[in-house]
Amino acid sequence: MIVHRINFYCLLFCFLIASLPQNAVAHGGVVEEDDLCVIKVNYLSAHFKIYQPGVAEHTQYCEDLPVAAESVFVMEYQHQLLSKMLVDFRIIRDVTGKGRFARIADVNAIDDIDSATVYYQPPAIEPDVYLVNYEFEEEGDFIGIVSATHPVTGRIYAAVFPFEVGFTGLGYWPFFIGMLVLIQLQFLFMSGRLKAWFGRGAVTGLSFALLLLLVSPTSFAEEVLVTYSSPDGLPVINRMHSWILHIASDSGVGLEGAIIDVEGGMPAHDHGLPTKPRVTEDLGGGDYKLEGMRFHMSGYWEIVVAVTTEEGTSTAIISLQL
Amino acid sequence: MNSNILKSIFGVVVLVALVAACDQRSRFDWTEAEREVLKSLWLESLPELPPDPSNAVADNPDAAAFGRQLFFDPRLSANGGISCATCHQAERRFTDGLQKAQAIGITARHTPSIVGAAYSPWQFWDGRRDSQWAQALAPLEDPNEHAFDRVQVVDLVLDDDGYRQNYEALFGALRDSILNDAIFLNTAFANIGKSIAAFERTIMPTTSRFDEFVAAVLGDDVDRQRELFSDDDVRGLRLFIGDANCTQCHNGPLFTNHEFHNTGIISFPGDVPDTARAAGIKEVLTNDFNCRRAYSDDPARRCDELEFARTGKDLIGAFKTPSLRNLENTAPFMHKGQLPTIAAVLQHYNEAPDAMIGHNEAKPLRLSRRELARIEAFLLTLAASISQGQFDNM
Repeated sequence: MIVHRINFYCLLFCFLIASLPQNAVAHGGVVEEDDLCVIKVNYLSAHFKIYQPGVAEHTQYCEDLPVAAESVFVMEYQHQLLSKMLVDFRIIRDVTGKGRFARIADVNAIDDIDSATVYYQPPAIEPDVYLVNYEFEEEGDFIGIVSATHPVTGRIYAAVFPFEVGFTGLGYWPFFIGMLVLIQLQFLFMSGRLKAWFGRGAVTGLSFALLLLLVSPTSFAEEVLVTYSSPDGLPVINRMHSWILHIASDSGVGLEGAIIDVEGGMPAHDHGLPTKPRVTEDLGGGDYKLEGMRFHMSGYWEIVVAVTTEEGTSTAIISLQL
Repeated sequence: MNSNILKSIFGVVVLVALVAACDQRSRFDWTEAEREVLKSLWLESLPELPPDPSNAVADNPDAAAFGRQLFFDPRLSANGGISCATCHQAERRFTDGLQKAQAIGITARHTPSIVGAAYSPWQFWDGRRDSQWAQALAPLEDPNEHAFDRVQVVDLVLDDDGYRQNYEALFGALRDSILNDAIFLNTAFANIGKSIAAFERTIMPTTSRFDEFVAAVLGDDVDRQRELFSDDDVRGLRLFIGDANCTQCHNGPLFTNHEFHNTGIISFPGDVPDTARAAGIKEVLTNDFNCRRAYSDDPARRCDELEFARTGKDLIGAFKTPSLRNLENTAPFMHKGQLPTIAAVLQHYNEAPDAMIGHNEAKPLRLSRRELARIEAFLLTLAASISQGQFDNM
């Protein structure tokens, strides 16, 4: 039995190692969350990735780069505040001697940062995505420094991430340790010690809380019935047109004076409508004029209508196959 | 016993022959839904060109003739050597065969075709202009394109007797003092763009082999279908409107929905990835020559496209769907000419890699190499001659 289990874990381990992407190791200011690398500039975070399009096309790296080549750094903000901040980006040769344990204090202690700098992108406000393109001339240890200036207080937030160019890819030990911990947990669970330590009640409570989270309904407000008609004829693709939305309570009475927000998109393609339609007129009797509708692809669409009255907000989804 | 085996073999042979025959027939046999799709892609289904109320001379033949002269005039540039036609070459379907356009300098993107562009509510790869006339003005002042400015452009029209006559017949008297007044200057500059747009509105696609094929389908003429389309062409067409999902974006008679999509194209060497529509929409909303501003000829200033335009992060890395008519002679492809051949483009969509910025809306197709080759064969049936030879250099 024991021999069996060890074999199973060996197989699982080998399989996972084989299926690991090249960028599994992250450290310094960049951490990996749900398959994405995240850079934390103080409390402000952004998705972070590096590409070497000339040599590795669409392969993403978190920090360490395999070769000295043209490298594109991409920061996609998670905190909107970053899109209003002056952000600058600096790459220096690692002169701290701390390697991948270098921190902000070590960087601040450098006397002549300019002479260590290999690339500097001056401060700029980038509303959508922050991009850097730098071609590394040589392999070695580097430190990336991102600084963001708060638009109101003027405080400077910084993130530091040491990385290696010419990375050999032999760094799976954190994963290995994780596997050992998992095996140990599995052992504790199987042997009943986990239950002995935390008690049956805690385990049951946790399960119940999880269940509640899963089944909790999304709308507590009264249901509304939303129907639409299109005075310009049935919706066809690639033509801007308007709709008449009819909003009624679940007893069928038309709701007047509601605030209506319309969003929509194609779930299969992860994109929204090509336009930003909005209700331009309350026609009375629960009818509302919705202008600026356009579909730009054939396929399955969902239009989400959020209806806000004094009672609260309810949403209804209109499905369309075009 | 022996005869039983023979019977079985005979049975199998007959079955195979039948299946093959059915398959052969079904290839040119279209369901009602497929006929509808084919009809929607047919050039005959192209609606009449929508009016451009922001351009009073949009459909004026004199303006088109004047605009045509301007389009081919290299004097409209800093070195006297660059005209619109330098990059928009008629024989290449108004593209230039380069990755990024090369005029006075190297521009940011690949030259798009202007065939049928009058149907699009948005101009440029990122839709940073909302009319053809506003579009025509931008390259004149781009330091990498014509590297001219509006004073020089209007001055040239003032100084050239023929141009001045053309202009004044269309828009009224031009005073020399115009150059000192920003509003008059901008009005004259916009009028020059409107004339170029009047010419560009006449550049339309022409009937391709595919269009003749659709006519044969709708006329139930199987022999004509066979004459026009090879086996690969038909199979490619079936994939195009079916499993390859091409018509989700490349739809309608121009094979484009005129909208913006991120399809995960790799960045150009030396450039950061292009944010595209995310920046383009901001620019068009504040552009002095947009539909809402004073230089529009529409007194109602009804600008639905701007009014209901979407902004936001969904648009990062999203580029306008180009038409697929006339792909012949227009390589390389994509917004910076990153992909050298149609085969490379199809391979890209087959893999649909993660986008460098934003997210790739396309999903991997997982088609075989043979299937991709058939789609390519079909795409080449959209080749057509340029219209009436009216675009010869002057």
